[in-house]
Amino acid sequence: MIRMSSPNEFAQEKGRPVKGEGWRLSEEEYERLQDPRSVGLDVRSEGWRVGEEEWREWLGTLLRSGSRLVAPVEEDGLSLFRAVSSAAEVSLRGYGNTRWSPKEFLFPATEALFSYRLLGDEVELGAPPADGGEQVLFGLRPCDAAGLARLDEIFLEDGEDPSYAARRDRTAIVSLACDTARPECFCTAVGGSPAGTEGSDLQLLPLDGAWLLRALTPKGAQLVPASAAGWTPASAADWRRAEELRLAVEESIERDPLSPEWAPVLEGAFAQPLWEELGQRCVGCGVCAYVCPSCSCFDVKDEGDAFCGARCRLWDSCTLPQFTRHASGHDPRPTRPSRYRQRVLHKFAYFPLQHGGRLMCVGCGRCVRLCPVGIDIRESVERAFSAGASGEGRP
Amino acid sequence: MSDAGRDRFLPHLMRIAAAREETPDVRTVRLEFAEPEVASGLQWRAGQFAHFSAFGAGESVLTIANPPSRPGHIECTFRDMGKVTSALASLSVGQTVGFRGPYGNGFPIDEWRGRDLVFVGGGIGMAAVAAPLRLVLDRRGDFGEVLVLNGARTVADLVYKEEMKEWEKVERVRIVRAVDPGGETRAWDGEVGLLPDVFESLRLEPDGRIVVICGPPIMLHFMLIALDRLGFPPERVVTTLENKMKCGVGQCGRCNVGRFFVCRDGPVVTAAQLASLPADL
Repeated sequence: MIRMSSPNEFAQEKGRPVKGEGWRLSEEEYERLQDPRSVGLDVRSEGWRVGEEEWREWLGTLLRSGSRLVAPVEEDGLSLFRAVSSAAEVSLRGYGNTRWSPKEFLFPATEALFSYRLLGDEVELGAPPADGGEQVLFGLRPCDAAGLARLDEIFLEDGEDPSYAARRDRTAIVSLACDTARPECFCTAVGGSPAGTEGSDLQLLPLDGAWLLRALTPKGAQLVPASAAGWTPASAADWRRAEELRLAVEESIERDPLSPEWAPVLEGAFAQPLWEELGQRCVGCGVCAYVCPSCSCFDVKDEGDAFCGARCRLWDSCTLPQFTRHASGHDPRPTRPSRYRQRVLHKFAYFPLQHGGRLMCVGCGRCVRLCPVGIDIRESVERAFSAGASGEGRP
Repeated sequence: MSDAGRDRFLPHLMRIAAAREETPDVRTVRLEFAEPEVASGLQWRAGQFAHFSAFGAGESVLTIANPPSRPGHIECTFRDMGKVTSALASLSVGQTVGFRGPYGNGFPIDEWRGRDLVFVGGGIGMAAVAAPLRLVLDRRGDFGEVLVLNGARTVADLVYKEEMKEWEKVERVRIVRAVDPGGETRAWDGEVGLLPDVFESLRLEPDGRIVVICGPPIMLHFMLIALDRLGFPPERVVTTLENKMKCGVGQCGRCNVGRFFVCRDGPVVTAAQLASLPADL
């Protein structure tokens, strides 16, 4: 396994805890916080120890305030994010992660951009239906919250997309740190953590049978109800336990890092013959992009007839055969290997090289789990990096 | 033009003011803005492109064929090729289309001052050459000699036939027209041959010339090889890239060639830049 940066160096990049005043730390805690791997918990933030009854009651309060609540529910044996009408529908039991990422609640699979009506030679354009007010996305795994932060980079920082920005503005995110890792999980390999805070306004950390709720942003703090005055503040022991669990989950994810520092080597591996082998297996079904929390490519097309309809934005995938095909028939990426290479390099080379070293992958593992032919993007990245670093087959 | 706050996908409405069938499948339309204030506020550079829409069919990326020195309206030339262009081709004068743009970088015309210029347009690629060429002709005194090399598969496929006669009358402008072997007619008095061969037969020296080439990928490929062999430095060979695009601002994710997004970083590139891009074209 070739490695250019250790997890420690990488964790340092992602946010080392800062020493400050007013910390009540044991020697051991202080030592641990000096460990650069300690990327998750900032013990200075306010926290409460809450039980299931308390968070359900809190969700009820949010619903009564008129907020839309999106949370994991169990449906046909699958865990899925749904807009719920009561807190009782929310199911966190045995929930590893949802089948689909929560991105559709910020970046819908299909959305009308505007409507059109043809009246003789004239055309009348209409605004799309407004889609509601405040929404709270509850129970997102930290990887998925980080995935939404990637969408922010594309739809806010790379030039603001007004409909995304409006939806993002009225959305608050409550993440749920992991108490277990699934075989396909690899957040730690891409700079994340089972208790990662990127993209979260509030976070629930598991504590054997209860949870530690912490606010991470002012927006998150505003969501904490007045009844929190009656909640038990998290004790030092609670924080310690949450930290122990985080470390335990983190250690159970035995993946070598896929470093953003590999990006130039991967980019240089563009012409490697290896892609032929890696991409021949791909059947071009596109499921990897549809379940991915950070994939943001879209199509724009008219849905309707010659008299009225709407111009719509829809999810798309770079592995689908029509993605880059010109009307003339010319296709810059005419083969499945050329399309699969684009998918890997966009996430692990082109995007990090243009976005301060952040990968366009958060390690949720959905693509690994759901690929019908068993393609593992981690393996592709590692092999392409090895081939690029050794310069084998370079033209 | 400031479109701040306006949804980027919401097009301006334009009326087809005139349409000209250039060839059996190529059409030029002149579009006028439904809102006059949009027309007066619109600024663009030669070489920039826009999304043109036929409502019900969708949007298509086309170059803006009139230069900013001829403002107040928009002109575009397109081949009836896909769903949207065939819908645009079927619309009549007076009907409404959508326009959003401009996007992309445009040609660095000011860097060409004082130089001799060669414009090579193959087939519908002539539409991409039109804006910088017209701008150069509108600012004739700023540039040296102008050679226009226009090729097509057959005589019937040549575009801008009438306008070319006007261009020919401009001082120090030479027009060379060519058709592919077999595409000539009995009355044809131009060249017969593929554009790279015709270009070579002109025996031009590099001499600081700027060469602008626009055309199908296969023509570009062989033109670049020919220019390289003839010693034209790649920094002074300029072309435009084309790819499928859905947004125009680097977000839809399909026009990129490696890290280079054609919509945002292009479409105008030099042969030197092109050589540094991965072979994903």
